[in-house]
Amino acid sequence: MKKIVLAEDNSTLSLLLKFRLEKDGYQVLIAEDGKKAIELIEEHDPHLILSDIMMPYISGLEVISHVRNKLKKQMPIIVFSAAGQEEMVLKAFNLGANDFMGKPFSPNELVIRVKRLLSI
Amino acid sequence: MIDFQNFTEYFKQLPIILKIIWVLIFLLSISILGLILYLKKLRINLRANEKKFVKFQKIYEEILINYLYAGDEENKISTEQEKLINKIKREIKSKFKRNIIISVMSKLIDDISGEMADSIILFYFETGLINHSLKKLKSNKWNIVASGIKELAQFKVTDVNDEIIKHIKHPNREVRNEAQLYLVGLFHFKGLEFLDNFKTPLSEWDQIQLLETLQNFDNQEIPNISPWLKSENHSVVKFALKLARIYNQFDVIDTLLELLKHENQEIRVQAINVLGYFQDTNSKDFLKNNFVNASEEEQIAFFKLLENSADSNDETFILEHIKSDVFEIKLAAFKILKINNFEKFQEVKLIMEDEQCIEIVKFLENN
Repeated sequence: MKKIVLAEDNSTLSLLLKFRLEKDGYQVLIAEDGKKAIELIEEHDPHLILSDIMMPYISGLEVISHVRNKLKKQMPIIVFSAAGQEEMVLKAFNLGANDFMGKPFSPNELVIRVKRLLSI
Repeated sequence: MIDFQNFTEYFKQLPIILKIIWVLIFLLSISILGLILYLKKLRINLRANEKKFVKFQKIYEEILINYLYAGDEENKISTEQEKLINKIKREIKSKFKRNIIISVMSKLIDDISGEMADSIILFYFETGLINHSLKKLKSNKWNIVASGIKELAQFKVTDVNDEIIKHIKHPNREVRNEAQLYLVGLFHFKGLEFLDNFKTPLSEWDQIQLLETLQNFDNQEIPNISPWLKSENHSVVKFALKLARIYNQFDVIDTLLELLKHENQEIRVQAINVLGYFQDTNSKDFLKNNFVNASEEEQIAFFKLLENSADSNDETFILEHIKSDVFEIKLAAFKILKINNFEKFQEVKLIMEDEQCIEIVKFLENN
């Protein structure tokens, strides 16, 4: 079963995505902030990371930087961003994110992107 | 007992001023103790409420998500969804629980789109939560009215705009702001019609929020903004100037030229900036003739405009102001000269004695 770490501070959205991705056969580990996300990534070495950009304690950008530069991992990373965070998205891509979805987004579309990245 | 008797006798013998001090000390001590106990109780209650909130939030999150995934393709609402709706109908009788349910739904509706977002909106209608939002509009408290409008906007209740428009002139800024966001959020540019007769100030923050909301829409067809540029409400004019620039409203150039004579300096400056952005040349003669009487901000804005539209006819004017006392004007003048007539720039450079001008020239030569 492929593991996904989902870093998102909106608990309702996390639960919704977890439910949706588990229905498609993925194991989803939820982190409510960037600090917890890093802990989960180090502990579980997931196949894919979904991360919001704006999170408490450690931002999504720092999570990407940690994964790419410190852990030297190349698993796909999809970032979520709210409208008006275009600069942040560019920074995320520069740091090594593979894809992004602007909020509000369709959970079904997210699942399609997850499947595409995990099938490569 | 003896101690108490001694104390009362001692107290009776005291001078009046000391008696008052003792009584005050006693009363203050009692008050502080009472306040400490009250704060302690308040803190315990808050903690308990927080725990209760988290507990119910988890329950309602699960119910909402179960509802979202319980739909079937045959019916608009499946039997399973019907059960969950009925459960929530019972829960929302409690104000505390109702607020939690609304906050859970609000958190989700802001972040998702598509079929699921539509399904949440249906849930909002079917559970009767909409009636509670509508009731809030009748409240005497401004914060309740504002939250009611916000909910109606979030869950896209379009058919109550007549009710919302009544609050567009509300004495409280927050209520006005929510009403504006409702109209623009649901009716896009058409929602801006409230500006036609808007008398209250539209704060900078209100304007930013409106512009941000407008940018989220695919249809960017903007109505005629000329009437807003002519509004007696200065904040509406400033907002219309922002719209003119963001949505490239070249059709309103004539109205922008009229604004160069506006009584408000900020508007005049903003109009020059927009004309500069449009690389307009028709305003140059008026601005040159009026330059001496213009404020420093207008003069700087005019030189910024010239950076975009200056030609050889402007050279004399630029040379006249190359030694201006205003740094921004001096810098712009040299920049224009360098781009439009490099030979003249070299010539002027040699006769410059002013330290600041020499620094500007050096900077421009290296950049």
